[in-house]
Amino acid sequence: MPFERWRHVVPLRWRSLLRRTRVERDLDDEIRYHVETETERLIAAGTDPAAARRAVLQRLGGVEAVKERCRDARGVAFVETVAADVRYAVRTLWRSPAYATVAVLTLALGIGANAAVFSLADGIMMAPLPYADPGGLVAVTATYPGGAFEAMRREVRTLTAAAYAEGRTFTLTGDGEAVRVSGTLVSAELLPMLGVKPLLGRWLQPGEDAAPRDRYVILSHALWKARYGEDPHAIGRSIDLDGVRREILAVMPHGFQFPSTATQVWVPLGLDPRDTPRYWAGDFMPIVGRLAGGATREQAREEIHAFQTRVPALFPWKMPADWNNALAVVPLRDAIVGGVRSRLVVFLAAVAIVLLVACANVANLGLSRAFAREREMAIRAAIGATPRRVARQLLTESAVLAVLGAVSGLAVGAVVLAMLKQWLPADTPRLAQVHLNGRAVLVCAVLAIVTGCAVGLAPALYALRLRLRTALESGGRSGSGGASGPVRRVLTIGQVACAVVLVIAAGLLVRSLWRLSRVDAGFTPGGLVTARVSPPESLCADADRCLTFYRLLDARLAEAGELRGAAFVNTLPLTGAIAKRSLEIQGYTVPSGQTAPLVSMNVITPAYFRVMEIGLEAGRAFTAADAAGSAPVVVVSSSTARKYWSGESPIGRHLRFAGEQTWREIVGVAADVRAHDLTMDEPGWIAGTIYVPHAPNGTLEDGRLPPAMTVVARTPIEPARLAAMLRGITDRADVVVDDARTMGEIVAQRIAAPAATASLLASIAVLAVTIGCVGVYGVLSFLVSRRFRDFGIRLALGAQPVHVFWAVMKEAAALCLGGVVIGIAGAAALTRWMSSELYGVSPTDPVTYVSVSLAVAIVTLAASCIPTRRALGADPLVVLREQ
Amino acid sequence: MSKPPDLVQGTLDLLILKILALEPLNGHAIGLRLRQVSNEALAVSDGSLYPALHKLEQQGWLTATWRTTENNRRAKVYGLTRAGRRKLEKETSDWERLSGAISHVLRLGRA
Repeated sequence: MPFERWRHVVPLRWRSLLRRTRVERDLDDEIRYHVETETERLIAAGTDPAAARRAVLQRLGGVEAVKERCRDARGVAFVETVAADVRYAVRTLWRSPAYATVAVLTLALGIGANAAVFSLADGIMMAPLPYADPGGLVAVTATYPGGAFEAMRREVRTLTAAAYAEGRTFTLTGDGEAVRVSGTLVSAELLPMLGVKPLLGRWLQPGEDAAPRDRYVILSHALWKARYGEDPHAIGRSIDLDGVRREILAVMPHGFQFPSTATQVWVPLGLDPRDTPRYWAGDFMPIVGRLAGGATREQAREEIHAFQTRVPALFPWKMPADWNNALAVVPLRDAIVGGVRSRLVVFLAAVAIVLLVACANVANLGLSRAFAREREMAIRAAIGATPRRVARQLLTESAVLAVLGAVSGLAVGAVVLAMLKQWLPADTPRLAQVHLNGRAVLVCAVLAIVTGCAVGLAPALYALRLRLRTALESGGRSGSGGASGPVRRVLTIGQVACAVVLVIAAGLLVRSLWRLSRVDAGFTPGGLVTARVSPPESLCADADRCLTFYRLLDARLAEAGELRGAAFVNTLPLTGAIAKRSLEIQGYTVPSGQTAPLVSMNVITPAYFRVMEIGLEAGRAFTAADAAGSAPVVVVSSSTARKYWSGESPIGRHLRFAGEQTWREIVGVAADVRAHDLTMDEPGWIAGTIYVPHAPNGTLEDGRLPPAMTVVARTPIEPARLAAMLRGITDRADVVVDDARTMGEIVAQRIAAPAATASLLASIAVLAVTIGCVGVYGVLSFLVSRRFRDFGIRLALGAQPVHVFWAVMKEAAALCLGGVVIGIAGAAALTRWMSSELYGVSPTDPVTYVSVSLAVAIVTLAASCIPTRRALGADPLVVLREQ
Repeated sequence: MSKPPDLVQGTLDLLILKILALEPLNGHAIGLRLRQVSNEALAVSDGSLYPALHKLEQQGWLTATWRTTENNRRAKVYGLTRAGRRKLEKETSDWERLSGAISHVLRLGRA
């Protein structure tokens, strides 16, 4: 287009856009001039004035229509009319606050829930790890002891491998009072490999994770702050961890957390080939690594597979044939997210369904409004608006609603996300890094647009089919909803179905949680208070001194008279602690290709079974004589007895720890205890559970008595009081008393994750049901208002109110029934994806399905009672007068 | 009264340009002139005329000025721009070529 044309065009377009009122006035003037001049001309030619004006208008085809076509011709009309539509939409919505509020609120809840859960899923599952080049970080889904790990780092080339062992607790002494800290053992590669820099100090050098050059410790930022007040001179100072002197090598940057938030100190692995049991059978450690030299995960997997075929030969004993058979190399992020993924996917699906329900609801509301405005639409069409123009107006209105919904949804999302972060268990991986993020905002915007179109479509389509004459003639009171009746019913049935799916899913989780909380853990948690006592490492290196310390403590606790009974144990159930020992069982040959049974060993004082209320199925508990070490005795758990002495009584049989000379006699069989979590006695890699008395021979793998013991007391006193008593009795600065809590709290913590999942999904389901009820209510209100005159006349002619009542309720029941049936089918198809989240409940549990469906049906029918009652109140006089 | 034949698509623009090439006129006068010069054979509904004028103005072929008439009304007077004049020349020659060709085809049978 040549410049001289642009010279005219550009200013014109700007004028059309920016000087709208001016342009409109010009248009008015131009058309008025035409009408007046032409009328005068016709009158001058002898036409009757009224007829002349009519003729002029007729030839013009309507003043407003011509103006609209001129606006269209101006090209920028689109932008202009959109602006006008938006203004008009806002005005219209402002005039019907009830509709606008319900619609915006519904959308805000739907979009808000989606923004929050999407942020959560995005932050946990999608966002890159906060390490350098996180794409190259992988995890090997297998565990290796120190010896095998050293072989791996020597031989594997595609991967810079690092090993760690999490969940250690140490007694930290020196430079202040003694505290228990949780730590992670790390290989020298681990921290440099993640690509973080220490805040202060330096990383471990190669070889500094092996004895005897491993006397170092790295502090977390929080511990450094608490203990050294952020003093930079802490580097190089020495502290004792479990009696081992270590130099502070580095301080981690603030917010660093690997492998979890719990870690306060990072301690070198202390690899030592001379310590054969520990080197080859100590911690089986997870392996993480960085792909080296451009290798792919697949190449790394192949190389490690090859390595895996060689490594069993390095062990000083035979390894099981299927050891580490299923190893894979996965992105580190996936390994960290782990089991949370399936839960997040369930949440995402649930909120997506809520959004569907919300959209259906707003579409339904929009349809009702479109009918209520039939007359307005008809008039607009009569004065020259095309059906497309009317449809666009309606779509604009939905878009305005959607944008309002999205903006308030963002606010709702921020609040919901804050609540979620409080609600979810604190050990949820990466939870601290989750925030309402840009991508969530983007998703919100996209949702708003999609929602706007979806929601506006139904009324807009209706507008396109406007039958003007009928609408005008019947004064907007025609028939019973015209063609859109089925659409509305389908939308409502869909809503009820979605709500049913969600409520069933939530019902299954709640039932599963109920099962879990009712699990017989094998002991009675109510009324138990616990606290851990950790004397210095050196004290328990000497068995006699260690036992004397605990005997004294036990006796003093009994004297205090505040406890109905107290006992000591090294590994309290449900705390994740396990002391494993390899067993030799008299008369039992280990099948070829398998290792000796590895069991969980509990070192207990004689009162333990009585205080915990763990039943004895056969034989006896330990006595004071057993504790004094008179004869070596042992108690096995019921399932262990069944496993190794199939059917026969193990009483009087013998077993001993690998490497021991003397046999221990089995004197009792104790009931099974859900010690690992509420669903399992032991983790999969442990073959059984045994109890030994806290006696000189009740030693761990390192040949020493367990230094830290946990007190369990049956008492009404507070945990803090118990801790205070223990501190008072020991009265030593180097004895740490911590972890004071009730057994109830420990159990509650175990079900925190499923409880959070269940309550979150239940809240989402309640949201869906509420929105669904608004939908049912809306549809029935609409149907009733359409047939109000009908009802009024029927009542006037003598129809029984009960008949009218049933006429409406039949509609309601059809909607509910349809929704419930489809919902049940949907739930049956969808809930099997969440079977990993269920305990003791089948994904198609009939009790849940029936009770939940009934509940939803009752609630939706109740919601339909209000419009039904209005139908009964139809006063024939009033109804007829309105016509 | 028999209905005058509809205008061939696009010819309205050409006619408007042609009429305005003689002198600037307001919309009403353009309508009158159209009927006049075609001896009422070509009737353009006033409803179509104004959108066409606005479109031509937007495209830069026409320019509009406001004048006050003798009886004190504001009238929008359209005139050709330079680009409009060239457009008219091009459209005219196109039209002549096209109508010549069509006439030629229609005469075939008679020859």
